[in-house]
Amino acid sequence: MFKVLTPPAPFAGRRRCVLRLGILALLLASAVPAPPARGAEARRYSIAFANLTEEPGVLLEGTGFTGRDVRESFVLAARLLPVDLVLYDNGRDPQKALANADDAIRRKVDLYVQYHHDAATNALIGQRLQAAKIPVVAINDPVPGAPLYTLDNAAAGLIAGEALGDFGLSTWRGASVLAVVIGNIGARDDRVPERVQGVIEGLRRRLPGIKTVPLDTRGNPAQIGPLLGRLVAGQPGAKLLIAATDDTSALAAKAALETAGRLADAAIVSHGVDRSIHGGMNDRKELDPSNRGSVVIGSVAFYLDRLGYDVLPLALRVLHGEPVPPRTLTKHKLITTANVFVEYPPYDMQ
Amino acid sequence: MKFKSLFAAALLVAASSSLALAQSDCTKIVPPSPWGPNDQTGATNRVTAAVTKAAAAEIKDGKVIEMSYPLADGIPLFGTRFTKTILTATSLAPGAAFGENQLTYMEDTWLSQSHVGTHLDGMGHIGRKDCYFNQTPMGKFINQNNMTKLGLEHLKSFATRGVLVDMVKVFKAAGKFKGNAACKRDCLDKGTVITGADIQAGLKMYNVTLREGDIVVVHTGWGNLFEQYPAQNAVFNSGAPGIGKDAAKWLISQKVVAVGADTWVVEVIPGEDPKEAFIVHNMLITDSGIHILENVRTDLMAAEANQTGRATFFFSMTVPKAVGLTGNFVGIEGIR
Repeated sequence: MFKVLTPPAPFAGRRRCVLRLGILALLLASAVPAPPARGAEARRYSIAFANLTEEPGVLLEGTGFTGRDVRESFVLAARLLPVDLVLYDNGRDPQKALANADDAIRRKVDLYVQYHHDAATNALIGQRLQAAKIPVVAINDPVPGAPLYTLDNAAAGLIAGEALGDFGLSTWRGASVLAVVIGNIGARDDRVPERVQGVIEGLRRRLPGIKTVPLDTRGNPAQIGPLLGRLVAGQPGAKLLIAATDDTSALAAKAALETAGRLADAAIVSHGVDRSIHGGMNDRKELDPSNRGSVVIGSVAFYLDRLGYDVLPLALRVLHGEPVPPRTLTKHKLITTANVFVEYPPYDMQ
Repeated sequence: MKFKSLFAAALLVAASSSLALAQSDCTKIVPPSPWGPNDQTGATNRVTAAVTKAAAAEIKDGKVIEMSYPLADGIPLFGTRFTKTILTATSLAPGAAFGENQLTYMEDTWLSQSHVGTHLDGMGHIGRKDCYFNQTPMGKFINQNNMTKLGLEHLKSFATRGVLVDMVKVFKAAGKFKGNAACKRDCLDKGTVITGADIQAGLKMYNVTLREGDIVVVHTGWGNLFEQYPAQNAVFNSGAPGIGKDAAKWLISQKVVAVGADTWVVEVIPGEDPKEAFIVHNMLITDSGIHILENVRTDLMAAEANQTGRATFFFSMTVPKAVGLTGNFVGIEGIR
């Protein structure tokens, strides 16, 4: 890698002097702590990332993010790290996931990042990689013995619930207030029920005794209009604090309220902060600094589009032999019109 | 009662006035200019007579190389930006010519934003909060038409040496080239981070050492997408290869006057840290008074350098004395 430069031979008459100077230099050098070897500085790691699925249109973890968003985050995060990525698509298929791990073992990658929902497959892959002495970092679903990086659905729900509760307290004190949780609330694979429990807990912390109505769309956002329409028709005087399990549901809920003429009676907080709800300078999406009066008061960030920025540094710590916690949680945060451009700076300006 | 109302109204006015005048402490947000507290010029202070004279030595045979793209309908622009011309040609109508010599004339109305096409970012383009170059609390120096400080009229000459660094060559030589299929000639892909070491490798390829007062022009190949307007506008605007923070830091240490590139942004997009916005713009313009030149046509100079083994040239560009403007489209020529 580095060109070796050979010094020219010294003149014969000066050879002894040069030799003495050389010995002196060696002695001095041995007294000074040596800088890191160049080889160590240049050490690059081959890290495999086996994504949950990259099937177009398939959304991950009950949010609006796709597998492509996740993969892109790894590619971007790797740019300035000493990492060469080997990318796999597990395709939500146990056989494919196993084949990917086997391929990575053949390639002798330095570390394997596994993102797959099936516990039995993860256990088997963990065994194979352990036998090959390849360390693993797991995403969202554990691989036995491997550090886990995971979303914290309960914490995210708590943030949403507390934000709604705070809004209710400051805006509708004394009014009849009803809480609604809407979305694919039964999606256990995506841990949405944990999110819902967090919302309920957060609401109760701020508004003890508040009644919460669950509206399950069973994954079909088209159901939001009819479900919410019926509810608001039966609650003519009530104010509604609506927790949507994802951004698409939040936008559909807003549309339903608009149709019912009840926008002024509701506040919505959702989960995800995907591109359907925020955007660039000129996108004018729902969460935009110029839209501060929106009924959608915020969304709790899940950062699946930044997953690689969190996971790759964790993987490097494992490779460097540094201690890592067995479980690292996403630091969820409420994104509103006031901080959306801070958290997601637009880059459509020059 | 009336007095109370008046007193309350006065209090309200006083409160709102103080809000309107609320300023950040810019001495804590932006460093001072090395050219003194009254400086509104920035890095063109470096273009001294000696610098221009030394740069003139780059003109060996008078060959002029175009370094601007045409400013025309259909070029890539962002969001609501626009540039439009309206031709006034009334004297071409029958009987409208003047005098026995039948003089006719035409002229244009140009409705345009300033940061379009090949353009210069001035000192008032980018800040942190309300703080701009040389700790200027910009809130006090704007009206509905322009800035009253840091306008283009304060800039000095750009008659200096230009240095082209060919990043396509550098990345190919290092075996790390990753292109984009939409480019008809080799280009680095969007998101490719150019480091200080990459810039230095590009200089070394042509045995160039930067001098104080130079203008560095980065060839990434991404400008080929601009050339294909409007077909590839969406790809062109979707991101860019460009310099990262490390390269910006190194270029600042070299005391350059401006950094240009064949992209809409000069710096890498998506940026290195997703939570930072155009951080290299802050580093160069806000903190260091160094101009940014966007959408510079670099392919012709890159080809010339490749052919002749020389990557330096006399940088010829004039900027209109447009009072209070934050930037403007420019014409650039490299003279050899």
